[in-house]
Amino acid sequence: MEEVRSIAELPGGRTATLWDCWRGHAEKEPGRDAIVHWAAGEPPFRWTWGDLLVAATGHAQRLLEMGVKPGDVCAFIMRHHRSFYSLYMAVTALGALPSVLAYPNPRLHPDKFRAGLEGMALRSGLDWVLTDRELEPITGPLLARAGSTVRGLLFPLEWGGDAPKGTAAPPWREVDPDAPCLLQHSSGTTGLQKAVVLSHRAVLEHVRRYAAAIEVRPDDKVVSWLPLYHDMGLIACFQLPLALGVPLVQIDPFEWIQAPCILIEAISQERGSLVWLPNFAYNLMADRIHEEDIAGTRLESLRLAINCSEPVRAESHDKFYRRFAPHGLRREALAACYAMAETTFAATQTPPGGEARRLRVDRESIARGRVVVKEVGESTRVCVSSGIPIPGCELRAVASSGETLPEDSVGEIVIRSVSLFDGYRNNPEKTAEVLRDGWYYSGDYGFVHAGEWYVVGRKKDILIVAGKNVYPEDVEDAVSQVPQVLPGRVIAFGVEDDVTGTEKIAVAAETPLTDDAGRKRLCRTIREAGMAIDTTISHVCLAPPRWLIKSSSGKLSRGVNKERALRDLALE
Amino acid sequence: MISERLKKTICRELDLDDFEFEDATTAGQVPGWDSLSHVRIICAVEAEFGLRFRTMEVLRLKNVGDLQALVDARMPID
Repeated sequence: MEEVRSIAELPGGRTATLWDCWRGHAEKEPGRDAIVHWAAGEPPFRWTWGDLLVAATGHAQRLLEMGVKPGDVCAFIMRHHRSFYSLYMAVTALGALPSVLAYPNPRLHPDKFRAGLEGMALRSGLDWVLTDRELEPITGPLLARAGSTVRGLLFPLEWGGDAPKGTAAPPWREVDPDAPCLLQHSSGTTGLQKAVVLSHRAVLEHVRRYAAAIEVRPDDKVVSWLPLYHDMGLIACFQLPLALGVPLVQIDPFEWIQAPCILIEAISQERGSLVWLPNFAYNLMADRIHEEDIAGTRLESLRLAINCSEPVRAESHDKFYRRFAPHGLRREALAACYAMAETTFAATQTPPGGEARRLRVDRESIARGRVVVKEVGESTRVCVSSGIPIPGCELRAVASSGETLPEDSVGEIVIRSVSLFDGYRNNPEKTAEVLRDGWYYSGDYGFVHAGEWYVVGRKKDILIVAGKNVYPEDVEDAVSQVPQVLPGRVIAFGVEDDVTGTEKIAVAAETPLTDDAGRKRLCRTIREAGMAIDTTISHVCLAPPRWLIKSSSGKLSRGVNKERALRDLALE
Repeated sequence: MISERLKKTICRELDLDDFEFEDATTAGQVPGWDSLSHVRIICAVEAEFGLRFRTMEVLRLKNVGDLQALVDARMPID
């Protein structure tokens, strides 16, 4: 596909920027759909390439006048809005770095949200915050705080009109393709957030290679409900279609989670061909969509439904297929991918044209580190392939000694890629922990079998709930502050949930309380402490003082205590 | 006014012993009621009352009072 091959290079050999790509699409096909903004109950709003570029140019001129400069970090904290796209593109055009942050959930305590923002501002040097007036009471103090890097709060939705008119020759200077083009924050509410910075070249090289891996065609159409603060939403479902000129249908994540049938409706109506979904979405849509809500919808156009961001479960694929096969879903559309922000996005991908492979292995053999394929019998686990390395990407499984392991051996997955990040912004310690000799140490355990990669566990304690990373430390800090919980005597861990197809969060906490009523109240207060950091604690195990075991390093051992808690304590 | 039947349905789904619901109670105030459990609760309410809500009706719900009103509007008058 010529268009895909040529995106990173302009005639004359000059390397392209994202803006160059977007401008190229607008010049070549100004009337073609670029983004279809989907909002329930309204007709879809269709941005053509021509209109989108005019709007983005107008916004860029306004931002330039307001003082936004190349290299400035511009945080977006906005709800689903059709003006978002042109604003994002405008920031990129100026050589500034857009960084999309999650819009605060009503559950999240405003002080926690503000503390998270302040931490981000300190570490990443946020210069501008583009947001709405509703959040001013929370974001306003960022400006006033001594030493704040934030130079201004901007309320672009009040600027008036959908498409300010730009001129044909924008008055800003050309952007260097090796300059950063975006900044992405990991989740986490305390000092755990890490920021990944990517250049125009890195994003476009990645898009080019990943597009080859999934065989993107000019008639493809991406449909997504994914939030853009997540790498899957931002790179696979936003940067990729925009760079390639493939139309994108963007659904409101808040609307999708309440009415998941919207995705089926959008794929059917728009003839979408590519979707990326975290595993829980397969269960949610298979279990919770009423037939009446999708009557008449068809899914034959769906070429790939790519499962990514959480462990891929065979039963989730099966139930999704059973539910939607009568609507035309093809089995070979069930694909999977292994990805992370540190490699821009994808490291591996299952080849198009066939369903993601499965391997039934002896469960004990995984724990022993040497996988034994066992087609029948009890105590087996079905592992779903995440595919083969995408072009420009190399993977190894390594032992704790650093030695490269042979096929079928479980080790930490380390990755070398042309799209590898340079390091976490302003965080050399964290960078040194994961980046060694040009290899990224993913913290995931996996093995390679017949050339395909299978991810089977995690070295790090991070929890993945509905595709969102949750740091156990954040949960433990919040629960530690609950009266009657012994401070520092808490562990948080994940419990697999087959019904929802994701992890649920459990905590084990020590308390001196022994009476039933008091313990019941405490369980509820612990759950409420989770709510204040926008985290659902599904299970609470209360333990007597000195019950939790410390490791040799003097820290509470999550792994050992999880096993003991699940075995010996009541889940409340 | 939130009916005992609606309250019990929600509490059952969220594994809560009890909760004092008011009309203005929002999901974010109820332990365990997050975006992931929301659809499950709506399905449980539909099953309990033998109703089927439309997409836009679900999206317009702002609080438990709205959910009660939606149930009331759809239930046959005794």
